[in-house]
Amino acid sequence: MSDNWEMVIGLEVHAQLNTSSKLFSSSPNQFGSEPNENVNFIDSGMPGMLPVMNFACIEMAIKTGFALNFNINKYSVFERKNYFYPDLPQGYQISQFEFPILTEGFINIDNEGNQKKIRIERAHLEQDAGKSIHDIDPKFSFIDLNRVGTPLLEIVSYPDLSSAEEVVSYMSSLRQVLMYIDVCDGNMQEGSLRADVNLSVRKKGGELGTRCEIKNLNSFKFIRQAIEYEFNRQIDVIESGGRIEQNTMLFDTSTGETRAMRSKEFSHDYRYFPDPDLLPVNLTQDQIDKVKTSVGELPQAKLDKFIKDYNVDKDIAKIITVEKQNAILFEKMISETDIKPKFIAAWLVGDIFAFIKENNLEVSSLNEKTKEITDLLKLVSDDVISNKAGKEILPKVLNGQGKPSDIVKELGLEQVSDSGELEKIIDEALIGEEENISKFQGGSDRVLGYFVGKCLKATKGKGNPKLINKILLERLKN
Amino acid sequence: MSNIDIKRISYLAKLKLPHEKEEFYANSLKDIIKWVDNLKKIDTSETEPLHNVTEKTVSIRKDEINKSNSVDDVLSNAPERAQNFFKVPKVVE
Repeated sequence: MSDNWEMVIGLEVHAQLNTSSKLFSSSPNQFGSEPNENVNFIDSGMPGMLPVMNFACIEMAIKTGFALNFNINKYSVFERKNYFYPDLPQGYQISQFEFPILTEGFINIDNEGNQKKIRIERAHLEQDAGKSIHDIDPKFSFIDLNRVGTPLLEIVSYPDLSSAEEVVSYMSSLRQVLMYIDVCDGNMQEGSLRADVNLSVRKKGGELGTRCEIKNLNSFKFIRQAIEYEFNRQIDVIESGGRIEQNTMLFDTSTGETRAMRSKEFSHDYRYFPDPDLLPVNLTQDQIDKVKTSVGELPQAKLDKFIKDYNVDKDIAKIITVEKQNAILFEKMISETDIKPKFIAAWLVGDIFAFIKENNLEVSSLNEKTKEITDLLKLVSDDVISNKAGKEILPKVLNGQGKPSDIVKELGLEQVSDSGELEKIIDEALIGEEENISKFQGGSDRVLGYFVGKCLKATKGKGNPKLINKILLERLKN
Repeated sequence: MSNIDIKRISYLAKLKLPHEKEEFYANSLKDIIKWVDNLKKIDTSETEPLHNVTEKTVSIRKDEINKSNSVDDVLSNAPERAQNFFKVPKVVE
């Protein structure tokens, strides 16, 4: 059914800025506090209270501007968006409308190995609203205003996205960049990053259809589900002779369905006008330039560097660059040792990440232990201990149970890399194996594995396998 | 001048107007708009829009926390409270 149809999607992403205080008040910008703990008289909309701009929010917007290739506008204006809802005590949301701080940016996303450029129309600063809780009492709603006034950067893309996969890729790239430049903690579960999806359908290559907006999706799973459902819903409506009405939809996470949210009686009319409490923002070039130095290296640049300069496989480099913490840990290790980065990278995404996951740790907690880790990896790469022994010791090293070299000695895990000793063991192992030797010489490579195993066993697993292999080959060929 | 949709305006303002007063308010609003419309007589085609009469830029502050009141202060004006929440008639969209 959906074969002839395609979807056209634009995204409005709300990113909570990770400042200490709110956008226009000095209340804490903090998740998870007791109800109404972080509310002052500005936040609760008391008459006569005046908003005062938190400049860190402007700086974070500028930083995002550099990272997402935006025009950074020196002149921007805060306006009032008027509507009534109990969790909006002012009766209006302070936002930017006609003159946003950022216009015309873009981000390149990865879609099944291909790069696609997604254009971003604008990004503007605005206040978040509070939270209404409807399920405690059948007759009443309970209002918590802690979130009121939290600084948001709303990032509005052009309708350049054409599948759920692309949307998820766009959203995760955006999240990655915002976390790298340290303006948003990216915690979708806590609502630090959430998306409104604008979706319409059309016959392939045909005219644009009427769009519906699905509000407030805060996980990649829900974004995928909502898009699939809404796509099919719109096709169903059209194919059965109906018309799509422009509507705001809610996604029901329990049923996986979307449904129309706002009453259709009157279309919304927010009556924006410049907020008389706030003068326009007039930035100087100096203020903008100052922020530029703090942007730092972006994920794509790091990825390119890891692949080209450090020779790390693309898939592994991607895993490392997903989060800034990983990249910081990796680069710290590289700077402290002469082991090949590729070797370190494999250990990092393998056993080291597994340890972190198993023990529920923050990646950054290992920044203190890089010396011990690289000491251990050096023992492995120098063949002092086997790969297997390295894996065995790693958790002990990470748990702070001693220096790698001491643990190796204590457990007697040093490899036998003395060729004289190994030759003796190998010669003994070959006694009585005339049949297998001639098999090998007849071309059966598999026998080699058998011999290596036998020799390793004779060394109680401590023989250097590379060296055993080498000596064995010499012996067997003659 | 455009007609006044008094129903829509009272809806947006969350005001309940008695039916018999609708015409009265519609006419009052019309008069106000007529008066403001005098501004249209001025030719502004060469004038840059102005968002504020002062030339100054927005006042700013440092990103610092200052807790100036308690939860009880904020809830003291609540029509009703339940623990530390504002309690309001049910609103569900």
